[in-house]
Amino acid sequence: MKFYKPKSLLELFETSEKIEGKKYFLAGGTDINVQIKNGIIKDESIIFLNHLTELKGVLQSDNHIIIGALASFRGIIESKLLKNKLPFFQNSLQEFASPLIQTTATIGGNIANGSPTADVVPLLLVLNAKLKLFSKSKLREVPISEFYLGYKKFILKRNEIIGAVLIPENAETGYETFYKKIGSRKALTIAKLAIAGLKRISNNKIEDIKLAVGSLNEYPRRLYKVEEYLKNKTVDEIDFFELESQLKKEITPITDLRSDKEYRYQVCVNLIRTFLNH
Amino acid sequence: MKSIRKIDAIPKLNGSWKFLDDYSYKGMIHGQLLYSTCHHGIIKQIHFPDGYDLSEFTMVSAADIPGENIVPEPVCDQPYMADKEVFHFGQVIMGIAHPNRKLLREFISNTSIEYEELPAITDIKECLDNEKNAFGRELTIDHRTGKKPDPNWVHHHKIYYTPHQEQAYLEPQGMIAVWQPKDKIMFVRATCQCPFFVKEGVEAIMGDTIKEAVIETSEGIGGAFGGKEDFPNLLAGITSLLSYKSGKPVKIVLDRSDDIQITTKRHPARIEIETWTDPKTKKIMKIDIDYRLDAGAYQTLSPVVLARGVLHAISGYSIPDAFIRGRLFHSNTPSNGAFRGFGAPQAFAAMEAHIDNIASDLKMNPYKFRKINLFKIGDEFPTTQPILEDHLSNCLERVIDKSNYSKKLKEFKEWNKTHKDKKGIGISIGYHGGGYTGNGEKVLNSEVKVVIEKDAIVKIYVSNTDMGQGAHTTLAQMFFEAIDHPREKCRIQLPNTSKTPNSGPTVASRTIYIIGNLLRKFAFKIKDELGFENLEGYVASNQNEFPREFRMNFVQDPSVVFDDENYVGVAYKDYSWAACVTEIYYHADTYQIELTKSWSVMDIGKVVNQKIATGQAEGGVLQGLAYGLCEFFYKPGYGRMHGFTDYALPTTMDLPEIDVEFIHNDSPIAKGLGEIPMDFPAPSVRNAFHNATGIFINEYPLVPERIYSYMQRATDRHRQTQTV
Repeated sequence: MKFYKPKSLLELFETSEKIEGKKYFLAGGTDINVQIKNGIIKDESIIFLNHLTELKGVLQSDNHIIIGALASFRGIIESKLLKNKLPFFQNSLQEFASPLIQTTATIGGNIANGSPTADVVPLLLVLNAKLKLFSKSKLREVPISEFYLGYKKFILKRNEIIGAVLIPENAETGYETFYKKIGSRKALTIAKLAIAGLKRISNNKIEDIKLAVGSLNEYPRRLYKVEEYLKNKTVDEIDFFELESQLKKEITPITDLRSDKEYRYQVCVNLIRTFLNH
Repeated sequence: MKSIRKIDAIPKLNGSWKFLDDYSYKGMIHGQLLYSTCHHGIIKQIHFPDGYDLSEFTMVSAADIPGENIVPEPVCDQPYMADKEVFHFGQVIMGIAHPNRKLLREFISNTSIEYEELPAITDIKECLDNEKNAFGRELTIDHRTGKKPDPNWVHHHKIYYTPHQEQAYLEPQGMIAVWQPKDKIMFVRATCQCPFFVKEGVEAIMGDTIKEAVIETSEGIGGAFGGKEDFPNLLAGITSLLSYKSGKPVKIVLDRSDDIQITTKRHPARIEIETWTDPKTKKIMKIDIDYRLDAGAYQTLSPVVLARGVLHAISGYSIPDAFIRGRLFHSNTPSNGAFRGFGAPQAFAAMEAHIDNIASDLKMNPYKFRKINLFKIGDEFPTTQPILEDHLSNCLERVIDKSNYSKKLKEFKEWNKTHKDKKGIGISIGYHGGGYTGNGEKVLNSEVKVVIEKDAIVKIYVSNTDMGQGAHTTLAQMFFEAIDHPREKCRIQLPNTSKTPNSGPTVASRTIYIIGNLLRKFAFKIKDELGFENLEGYVASNQNEFPREFRMNFVQDPSVVFDDENYVGVAYKDYSWAACVTEIYYHADTYQIELTKSWSVMDIGKVVNQKIATGQAEGGVLQGLAYGLCEFFYKPGYGRMHGFTDYALPTTMDLPEIDVEFIHNDSPIAKGLGEIPMDFPAPSVRNAFHNATGIFINEYPLVPERIYSYMQRATDRHRQTQTV
């Protein structure tokens, strides 16, 4: 196993290009270190990122909030800017992992680890966040909804990394918000399912709604079909059988060590109902 | 009652207190266990990975054992290492040692074992539902009248299941063995509860090749909860054999994932209860209990757990006609073992649930139904042991009163009418017999030693360990408070089998109850013998008499007579009593129970150190609540948990405010405290859930997935009745 610690972002890409075969970018290390300990990562090269201060911090630019990919969850939870502009996003992450992991884990790592249960992703999905992807010669932006292609599969090209997360500064403005993470305990837990929602009601009608779920598919997803079905309806007009039939097209809950598919499905339905009825 | 500071508080805070992995010896190498990954099978071949120099490794297997390949236990049936056949996942096949810990881990994880697989029972229900799996001695407590139940009596027949529970000590299992060929002594440094058990374990495997095994504990023992009662014996045996063969000190510290998967757990239980209740008097007139434990692949100490289980099975009720049957069941899983409560938590989980089932059928307030049936002075246990005090009833009344139970019962009923989410409140009671069961303490014949030095320093020698529960502080306190000696002049020797006499194992809530009270009596005896008012003054003026050694043995009260064959008589001289009320908030959307508050009132007799006792009680209560709420170790079809990511220990955020109160603390005697707080809380959660929703769940824990499936069944039944 070889370790690299590039001095700058530029050196990072140079180093990365030279490494043949599979390699890992290590940010906070809260997942990768476990995989190394368990022998899942054995001989691959590891490139340290966490010391690259240019990818840290939370700042405002034009009408976006930019969160550096290496911003820690602690940094996000304590950010004054986020408290003012995106309080729902910030509050929803209060119970993320444990204080120790919050301090080390990064937002970029949570996204790039590619876990179906990644806590931050459903929130970013409903907030219409974009990812800024960096490579040696190019910067590009992709909506987070297009980032995942399958289980642990991303749109990232070779030698490309997530540089920052961009959230429109008014993403929460005018919306009622909803976030629930269901785990085997309240903190320090891997989600059995998670759901994030934004809705805007006008004249009793659902003018706009955004729903996203985690742990119910190979990667966290927006529920576009359900949203489409709900738009421009009053709550009384909703046929919940129809809603469920749309939902079934968009989620594929499974039974595993942590939970059961029937439970996951029903809780998802219950939570959507509660969000709509409020 | 004084809350003096724990003797280990400062060294633990500043990091100087040594836990097992902090010790190192010159030339020490590291060991690891190679264990079975098959549930039942014949070992065909072991393939070691290529690219390693095998001469650098020390390996031991069953064939290397100079002594017996059977671990000394109440029932001696478990080998240290499997010979040809493995009977469970996690069974040790070899001990392997190497100077480099990381390389050793790699080597073992790349070693593969080829088996011829044989049929295996790994599912808890498959094990416990099938009578053919019963093994070992069957225990019965027969207090039948021979009369037929009155046809008017209301019959209830239910089966209750309880899960495994993991001790989750902070410090994993570990052992260091240092072979001293010159003196033929095997020195073992252990994180354990019972140094003299470990000694037996090492001497059995080493046979005549050693003269003696000397066991000393590490300074700090990072928790045990029963988990370090018997597994250390096996581990010490294999570590010693590695040290003997390599000629070097060997250290084995289990990786957390190995520790969780292969060491002993709380026994899963299936408890079937039949009762007949007189609908007029609301008295339970007859009971029949079938108490079954999944022992795992070997019996080891399970018969002792079974004994305590059947002796606590009836909970705190006086039932004129009682029959209790207890059996162990065999499965192809690691042997289950000791865990705080030792068979009693299973018993209360079932019986306290059953009591609520009956009360509900009779449309009675669960508190009032309990009051009618509770033990009264003059009643007797099913073993005919007389009930001499009504402290259980006092605990129940106090907890009902302080929790505002009756008022809340009404309030919640009203609130629930208009809310989708529900509130509930539940009761449970429990008790724990202190010390070894029956004649056990007589057999143990515990001895303590005290040395008084020329400078009036008192050194106490006991083999009982302080695993964080504060035993050494409290034991010393019981001695020096009795004769008013300054605490800084009182020391406790680190348990060492060549220095400390055998005062028995640190188990069975016996440390303060048996050894502490013995030390207190001992202090008075020394005072009488020497005739002093002030020990310091006496030593100063009689310097030539010191240093001086004193020894004393425990003498069991003559009233403790127990017939081990028929289970008749006094099983425990003193009982600690408890009652609990827990309040919950049920989230209908997510099927989750949130604990909102829990009150426990206990009678543990004299409280020696208020802070330590409260800490123990609060910790035990939360362990008990978690047993009822969220901890489970095995999922059918998915197997065992690997670590704390999957095994859901609650965090502080999941726990309610826990209110603990001790009553009758003016008693002259300190009774058992260690286990009682764990025994009773779980069913209060289950009963509160029933109160909230009207649904009975007879399996623990009440995880949301289980609640969901019961809710579904209830809805289906409702639909069916509507269609009919």
